[in-house]
Amino acid sequence: MIPDLTIEEPVSLSMVPYTGAWTKAEAAHLLRRTTFGATNQQILNAVADGMNTTVSNLLQIPVISDPITYDSNDATSAIGSTWITSVYPSDVTSSQLTENARIKSLAAWIMKRINTEDVNIAEKMCLFWQNHFSATVASDARATYNYHMLLRSHALGNFKQLVKYVTIDPCMLLFLNGATNTLYSPNENYARELLELFTIGKGPQIGPGDYTNYTEEDVASGAKILTGYLVDGLRSSTLPSPVATYTSFLHDTSTKQLSAHFGSVTVSDAGANEYSNYIDIIFQQPQVATFICTKLYRYFVNYDLTTAVLTDIIPEMAATMIANNYNILPVLDQLLKSEHFYDVALRGSIIRGPIELMFGMFNATSSAPNFNLAVDSEMYLTMYWLAENMGQAYATPPSVAGWIEYYQAPAFSKLWVNSTHIKTRFDIANYITVYPGIPVSGQNLKLNALAFVDGLSLPSDAVQVIDDMCDVFFPKAISPVQKTTLKFILTNGQPDFEWTLQYNDYQANPGNTTFSNPVKQRVELVLARIFQMPEFQTI
Amino acid sequence: MKRRNFVKNVSLASVAAPFVLKDINFQAIEKKLFNYSKNAADRVFVIIRLNGGNDGLNTVIPLDQYDNLMIQRPNVVVPETSILSITPTLGLHPVMTGMQSMFNNGKLSIVQNVGYPEQNRSHFRSMDIWSTGMLDVNETRGWLGRQFDNDYPNYPADYPNTTYPDPFAISMGYEVSATCQGLMANFSQALEDPFAAVNLLSSNVVNDGTYFGSHMEYLATLIDQTNAYGAQINAAANAGNSLSTLYDANNPIAVQLRYVAQMISGGLKSKVYILNINGFDTHNAQVSTTDTTAGSHADLLKTLSDAVSAFQDDLQLLGLENRVAGMTFSEFGRQIASNASDGTDHGDAAPLFLFGACINSGVIGPNPTIGNTIIDQEGVTMQIDFRDIYASILKDWFEVPMADIQPLFEQPVTYYQVLGACNLSVEDQEFEKTRILLFPNPAISATTIRFESQNEWVKIEVYDLDGKKILEVFDGNLNQDTHTIPFEIQDLMVGEYFVTILKGSGNQQIKLLKVK
Repeated sequence: MIPDLTIEEPVSLSMVPYTGAWTKAEAAHLLRRTTFGATNQQILNAVADGMNTTVSNLLQIPVISDPITYDSNDATSAIGSTWITSVYPSDVTSSQLTENARIKSLAAWIMKRINTEDVNIAEKMCLFWQNHFSATVASDARATYNYHMLLRSHALGNFKQLVKYVTIDPCMLLFLNGATNTLYSPNENYARELLELFTIGKGPQIGPGDYTNYTEEDVASGAKILTGYLVDGLRSSTLPSPVATYTSFLHDTSTKQLSAHFGSVTVSDAGANEYSNYIDIIFQQPQVATFICTKLYRYFVNYDLTTAVLTDIIPEMAATMIANNYNILPVLDQLLKSEHFYDVALRGSIIRGPIELMFGMFNATSSAPNFNLAVDSEMYLTMYWLAENMGQAYATPPSVAGWIEYYQAPAFSKLWVNSTHIKTRFDIANYITVYPGIPVSGQNLKLNALAFVDGLSLPSDAVQVIDDMCDVFFPKAISPVQKTTLKFILTNGQPDFEWTLQYNDYQANPGNTTFSNPVKQRVELVLARIFQMPEFQTI
Repeated sequence: MKRRNFVKNVSLASVAAPFVLKDINFQAIEKKLFNYSKNAADRVFVIIRLNGGNDGLNTVIPLDQYDNLMIQRPNVVVPETSILSITPTLGLHPVMTGMQSMFNNGKLSIVQNVGYPEQNRSHFRSMDIWSTGMLDVNETRGWLGRQFDNDYPNYPADYPNTTYPDPFAISMGYEVSATCQGLMANFSQALEDPFAAVNLLSSNVVNDGTYFGSHMEYLATLIDQTNAYGAQINAAANAGNSLSTLYDANNPIAVQLRYVAQMISGGLKSKVYILNINGFDTHNAQVSTTDTTAGSHADLLKTLSDAVSAFQDDLQLLGLENRVAGMTFSEFGRQIASNASDGTDHGDAAPLFLFGACINSGVIGPNPTIGNTIIDQEGVTMQIDFRDIYASILKDWFEVPMADIQPLFEQPVTYYQVLGACNLSVEDQEFEKTRILLFPNPAISATTIRFESQNEWVKIEVYDLDGKKILEVFDGNLNQDTHTIPFEIQDLMVGEYFVTILKGSGNQQIKLLKVK
């Protein structure tokens, strides 16, 4: 019943540049994997621009505006201004209220960023790094914001440098107890995750305390190397931002021995810079490139690491990374232009996460809250909570390993949907389409069905409307029967020309709801159906 | 001998009317004798999560440590005179009157100082540990999920089906419980309102053999499963009943437990129900500044105590007491010393509650020891590993063989008697020694009972299914021997009866069918 989906060609294992057909299918695949929800027009633009231009457009991190105070509980930052360097009030209660206002502003801001991402990989990369360097929200929104901005500004930059910054970032120092790791009471928490989850990865245990790539001795030595950093200025009423400070008398000045996995080298005292020397040693092991490239592959291409992928694709990515001194951008540039990436057998191989699901609906229909600062912010906060409800609270992964859907074999992204979450997904789909909307601050959060249909290639043509919707929302072609069903919903079972008449009447009478409402309702019904199809749940 | 797998909820022919023998006044015998839950397949376990880290020291209060509690937490501790005493050295928070009477009726037990080695004071990490029942950071399956996986390795494929039409577990609320996470899927169905119909748009996509196809199959299965389970839940809730008048409609946990009672009584075969109470992270304003018996923590404890005692009342009225038991847990207790904000910070071990008519009643473990000087960040020392309690529940309640339990956990399991009061299998060894035989059976006018005894007093009686004593067969001292005692039944109405033998070496019962 699904005609195009006969037996797939074997997966192409070549990283050589893709030179095949460049149609909406390929362009939409690229945008589906690198953004949260491209519109029909954005897909058409990508077709016109070609692969190379589209990829280089995607791989630029844009300059963005700051989060804005919208809640009057922020005692030291006026509504409409930004709070990112504002001190906190000294009163404890007022300070907590200020923090609540700021963390809401921050969450809303991040959701707005995703909702207004344009054709750009930045938001997808930010989510990638929030998952990878899984520090959760700190008790000072400024620290949380700074951490996010660190990940954003290095999203396509140098991985080694990013690890160095993250290691002494206040948010991470607090999250993995670096701030209490001292000469007198070493804490191995960060030292362990630095190796296990952030850089080289844990291999099979091949001996007592030996995990192939590192040993327990390395963890213990790493903890000593990292001693001495504290966090100052949390919710400070005088400092504009929390800062990491190095305190030499808390630093372990002994010489630390690393295992044979790091060439049995020793790390001698280098004070505040010792952590940096240690990270340089870690990054001498090519396994670091393999580890992070595997993670990038799973995030952008497919969770299933077949033997062929492990022997052909990942090593090439890792080689590119090492040749570029651990810069991320060249690796993604190569991957997103490769034959392997465009192989049809990989279309739809990932189930949308909650954020991909939600913005797959909002972004692809050009829908964004547009009331006023307070209402819009609350609506974005609602989006944050909806995603949390479906299992993905941004910047708050459930454990230091990130969201399990990105690493837990064998189910991987299937874990995003369970009996409740599928119902929540369908409920949200109904609420933002055929229902009056999700009530927020006296307004309704809802898709803009008219703007969406107006933006399609030929909105007056029912067949073309459905074709465009399929290109936008489904990773693979659906069957003729499914298409006919969707068109039947659009036309309410009437001949196609009735839709054309209705749409043209609406165009000829701008602002007249007598003509616009029927169009809006039919489009909303089709969207409601599409969002509840299993095909839409994948990218 | 009897492999009783708690997830094999094969439909036993529905259990006969509850059999409560009111005129025997020593409870222990009643529990062991009139046990209809012979098969663990019919049993239900209710888990209530106290999310945030419950302050155990203000929940179950060690009276013998009260003076030192006054030193450690003067702004938080409740007045000594207000504490609801349950043993000479132990009391409950003053709002917990419901659970106090459950304790006094042998339907609530307390396990003291439960935790795990090297307590992690992060909410997330510690809750993961409690949910998975493992300290291993890589474990993602829940402790119940592992057991479910052992029994249903292919779940969710092909479920529900005619043998297993009902969800294996139900999480009340929006989120499925991590305790039930299996390898491929979570075994629990999240549920807000069992009366709400579920009718998701189903799909007839097929698996084309690609990654995409495998997702299509999974999603279509999930949608169908959600609809099918939803229909079963809906039908059970509508068929079920709730008889207690103690539920408070403004108590969210009471409302959820009432739903649970309705689903169980309506015949839903789910084995586990999980509920959640948020708000136990009482860093500040745990108690009112003017009255330490009031405040956010008191409200939470009252919510818990009122709801659980109403539920137990309902189970009794519904005749379900011997089929349902439950426990509470929290990711950690709180520190011994209070903070300056009238609250308490993340600590270590804490007590947990077990409830139901089949608990081994009482208190397991000694009171925590509270020092007379404040040690910064000191928590209650762990004495009983929570994983041992999980293992004991699997053994006692679901009668999972010990050989199958040990592999579910990473530490050598120590078993405690927690939920064995209704188990005939606890007496299995004596049972083997003292076989009981009734012949002929079915019988018309007379039958004979053969049994073994020690040198002891023995009483043999016949009861009907309503628990009414019909006949006294024997009452006196016997020697250690096999005895054969004939008795007449011609005056009995046609139907089912129970012949019971009360004796010190172990009580027994056997069903008698009187025919024309």
